[in-house]
Amino acid sequence: MDETTAQEKMKQLEWYITKHCLWQYNSRGWDREIQNERILGKSKQLLCGENAREDDSNADRYYWSEAMTLVEAFKRYFPWLKTMKKEDIATVMQLLKEKMDYTMIKGSLNQELIKEKY
Amino acid sequence: MSCELKSKDRAGVINPIFTCQPAGAQFVSIGVKDCIGIVHGGQGCVMFVRLIFSQHFKESFELASSSLHEDAAVFGALHRVEQGVDVLLMRYPHVKVVPIITTCSTEIIGDDIDGVILKLNNGLLKEKYADREVHLISIHTPSFVGSMISGYDIAVKDFVSHFAQKEGMVNGKINVITGWVNPGDVTEVKSLLKEMQVEATVLFEIETFDSPMMPDGNHISHGETTIDDLRSTGNAIGTIALNRYEGGKAALYLEKEFDIPAIIGPTPIGIRNTDTFLQNIKKMTGKPIPESLVRKRGIAVDAITDLTHMFLAGKKVAIYGSPDLVIGLAQFCLDMEMLPVLLLLGDDNTSYASDPRIRELKENVEFNMEIITNADFWELETRIKNDGLELDLILGHSKGRFIPIDYNIPMVRVGFPVYDRAGHYRYPVVGYAGATWLAEQMANTLFTDMEYKHNKEWVLGVW
Amino acid sequence: MPYHQFKCSECIPERLEHAVDKGAGEELTDALPLGYLNTIPGTISERGCAYCGAKHVIGTPMKDVIHISHGPVGCTYDTWQTKRYISDNGCFQLKYTFASDMKEANIVFGAEKMLKKNIVEAFKAFPNIKRMTVYQTCASALIGDDINAIAEEVMEEMPDVKIFVCNSPGFAGPSQSGGHHKINLAWLSQMVGTVEPEIYSKYVINYVGEYNIQGDQEIMKDYIQRMGIQILSTFTGNSRFDDLCGMHRAQLNVLECARSAEYICDELRVRYGIPRMDIDGFGFEALSDSLLKIAYFFGIEERARAIIDEETARWKPELDWYAARLQGIKVCIWPGGSKLWHWAHSIHKEMGLEVVSVYTKFGHQGDMEKGISRCEEGALAIDDPNELETLEAMYTLKPDIIFTGKRPGEVAKKIRVPYLNAHAYHNGPYKGYEGWVRFARDIYNAVYSPMHKLAFIDISKDEIPTGKGFETQRMYSDVKISDEVKNDTALRQCTSKYDPIPALREKTYTFPDPKTGEWKVVSNEKFRKNSGVA
Repeated sequence: MDETTAQEKMKQLEWYITKHCLWQYNSRGWDREIQNERILGKSKQLLCGENAREDDSNADRYYWSEAMTLVEAFKRYFPWLKTMKKEDIATVMQLLKEKMDYTMIKGSLNQELIKEKY
Repeated sequence: MSCELKSKDRAGVINPIFTCQPAGAQFVSIGVKDCIGIVHGGQGCVMFVRLIFSQHFKESFELASSSLHEDAAVFGALHRVEQGVDVLLMRYPHVKVVPIITTCSTEIIGDDIDGVILKLNNGLLKEKYADREVHLISIHTPSFVGSMISGYDIAVKDFVSHFAQKEGMVNGKINVITGWVNPGDVTEVKSLLKEMQVEATVLFEIETFDSPMMPDGNHISHGETTIDDLRSTGNAIGTIALNRYEGGKAALYLEKEFDIPAIIGPTPIGIRNTDTFLQNIKKMTGKPIPESLVRKRGIAVDAITDLTHMFLAGKKVAIYGSPDLVIGLAQFCLDMEMLPVLLLLGDDNTSYASDPRIRELKENVEFNMEIITNADFWELETRIKNDGLELDLILGHSKGRFIPIDYNIPMVRVGFPVYDRAGHYRYPVVGYAGATWLAEQMANTLFTDMEYKHNKEWVLGVW
Repeated sequence: MPYHQFKCSECIPERLEHAVDKGAGEELTDALPLGYLNTIPGTISERGCAYCGAKHVIGTPMKDVIHISHGPVGCTYDTWQTKRYISDNGCFQLKYTFASDMKEANIVFGAEKMLKKNIVEAFKAFPNIKRMTVYQTCASALIGDDINAIAEEVMEEMPDVKIFVCNSPGFAGPSQSGGHHKINLAWLSQMVGTVEPEIYSKYVINYVGEYNIQGDQEIMKDYIQRMGIQILSTFTGNSRFDDLCGMHRAQLNVLECARSAEYICDELRVRYGIPRMDIDGFGFEALSDSLLKIAYFFGIEERARAIIDEETARWKPELDWYAARLQGIKVCIWPGGSKLWHWAHSIHKEMGLEVVSVYTKFGHQGDMEKGISRCEEGALAIDDPNELETLEAMYTLKPDIIFTGKRPGEVAKKIRVPYLNAHAYHNGPYKGYEGWVRFARDIYNAVYSPMHKLAFIDISKDEIPTGKGFETQRMYSDVKISDEVKNDTALRQCTSKYDPIPALREKTYTFPDPKTGEWKVVSNEKFRKNSGVA
């Protein structure tokens, strides 16, 4: 898969998250990092047919539930995911993670993200 | 068998009948043309008062806030008044009058709004708005003193004392200070004055609170009393304040300052009080009461006679709300053979005891009647719930609506605010028209209740 | 995404960065309105105060509680009966409000003794109620009354009562949001953990940031309980005081209005390890995904799917009837905080409305991130709007309808823009599948009102169509749609009852036993133990 295609596919997934999801908006930057890392990480694992559960903690179950719901929606919206090779999916998901980190944290103009306390 | 005046003996309030002083000042402010008040305090003191005005009138009114935040509460907030005045004047070029209305917070922190007004008059207004007529008026309405009623009274006086001038000849008009009323009341008062051929300065011209939806899309409701109207109050031949507690202060001020004779009350609710009102106008202006009013009165008496001894006689009533309204309604109920057994006045004004109308009630009422001052709704509810008080009718505003609902007592909405019935602000309670409307509202409410409860509803079949 | 310059605000340059036009291809990183900053005085902003944010928005929906405000009477009076947060116990919280009624002498000499007397009196007037919240106001904060000490004293003397104190005076923050924050943290630190709740299901959540406006909580509770999940507490709509004291025992916090209640979720996550799951209760797709997500957490997704299928089959034909007739209708979503993002995408996708503007009175930048993301290009986003700006926006954007508060709604009405109440709803509930159809119906009724059309006619200038005796909504709405859709017998208008909530209160539910997993009926009484508290 070439870079342009990967970017284009990533954009589609990003569009879905931007329009539909709420998990990426926790109010602190460090929170958002964890959310992106865990939910997109698990989503990638699920899309690639890997194990996405670490333990039976409430926290892990939570990230997994978000990922399961997200992946189900991805498949509904983007049939191309069914035929895409696993390494390509991994590439697209990595791009997506980077993009989400940028939009929601590094490039975010939200001045509240750096506040320490809730 | 007697009439007793006493204060609520609990410390706190369970379901308040009145709100606090700044609301009264804000109600006055919206009655003046080209005027937007700035309430100096937290934002809720404005936001919720605007909301309740809009609940009552189904209209929006303009009032601004100095938006007191944490730092201002600690270090003083006069700079926010300065900025607020400037921002308001810049963005609302038509505004000429800006009352600065204080609240509990800014009175406690001791912000000197009179000082800041002086500063603005000598600074900002001279430098930036030199070509513009702008009046800043300080209105002190700490929320922990009095109530919305005294806030209204103070604000009317502050507006009048700011503007009133004696300029040459007497203007041949009388001042009529209506008190906190509805557009329908102002219409009725003006119609009586017109029939009497008396020119009057009406404070405040709020018929426009019932504003139309026009094809050109006007966007806001406001009163129509002008600076000139207020100025000319100092040149009148006399002042009639319909309400003792809402406008009486201004009438006394004009009397003291400019020798303008004042007649304060009685509130022209019912036939008898309206007669007195007309007699007072006659006395003040020398104008006779015309045949047309004899006829108008006759129509009212005719209509009310159809209802009194057949339906209204002996009905026990509880009345709550503004003192002048409550007392006026009680007097009217007595004329209609009803028994106003409980009157609730929502503040601790100590002068109620010397009100001649209350003294008259105490001297003449031959059934058990209680007048509770500093009252809340629990005074009414606990008497029904725990003391076996039986009522046929409740008269009052919408904040008390759950009592009639929960205890199955018919109620006529009257006063401010009324937000759970449509269009009440359009109808008067004063004058002959008001007497008719009130009597018929009471009767129709009782009739609906009879039908709903199957309580001799067949009586109405041959009425 | 350039900042939007309102002409009326050119003279106050600091307003510029509070409004943004969502331009083509632009992202959140290009521009974001400022938010949650001190209000500019004199602008005629629509914001309320931190007292109302704490007491009125979050505290008062609790249903078995005496809510006292310690201050002059106005704060209590003004906020009383201005919201529609109902409860299943006769709405005690709507009907009764309490004020210490501070007078001048109290300001001078302190009001602590008087407050104590008040508290005792209030419990005496309502002997069946043993729970109380006390709210500080500007006045009691400034004179420095120690409300907590008084509460402690009373609780020592009256061991069967519990009192929660919220110190959130009106000036504590730029808007009501300051009060949301304060009461979230106060509840967490004072109350959570003081009650061990009864657990009757294997699956236990707190439903947070949900205030039961016109029955929203009860319609959502139906779906959640049909899955077998116990709602340990709702923060705070239709909730009992003691249930909220046991929040620490939930496995998951399901968060609806993140604006007003994210703080307690975040802290419960940090202190008790309870995850925070943000959901949408509005919109078929968003709600379905939300139910599914909750179900995945407990491994009961098939139960969620069954509910989603059943509810969709029941209500989708009604939603689609309206959607066919609402395509292209322009809307300003102008609520307080959370609804701009709860509604923006779903209303576009599922009803066909074009969102031309979103605003938030008291939201933070995070709310704007969500709202702007979910809007389509071209939308105007405004933080802390004021009266002139909203008028200017309405004149330039020419919306067909706006969703906003009661009073701004009156402004819109005058320039002939119909409004729906975004806070209290017109004929809600609007949450849930049934609620979403009710919302569509209300939009349809507002937009296609014959009376609304009549308001545009100037009888002094315009040709008056004398041949007509009346018009109907269908005569307006159906000219735009094809015969195929018009005659589609699968579609139908809203069949929801005037009040769908009482029937829900009579339903019974089964839950899996926490130990054995066996599904058992749990009586209704468990959900609302103190009916008839008064």
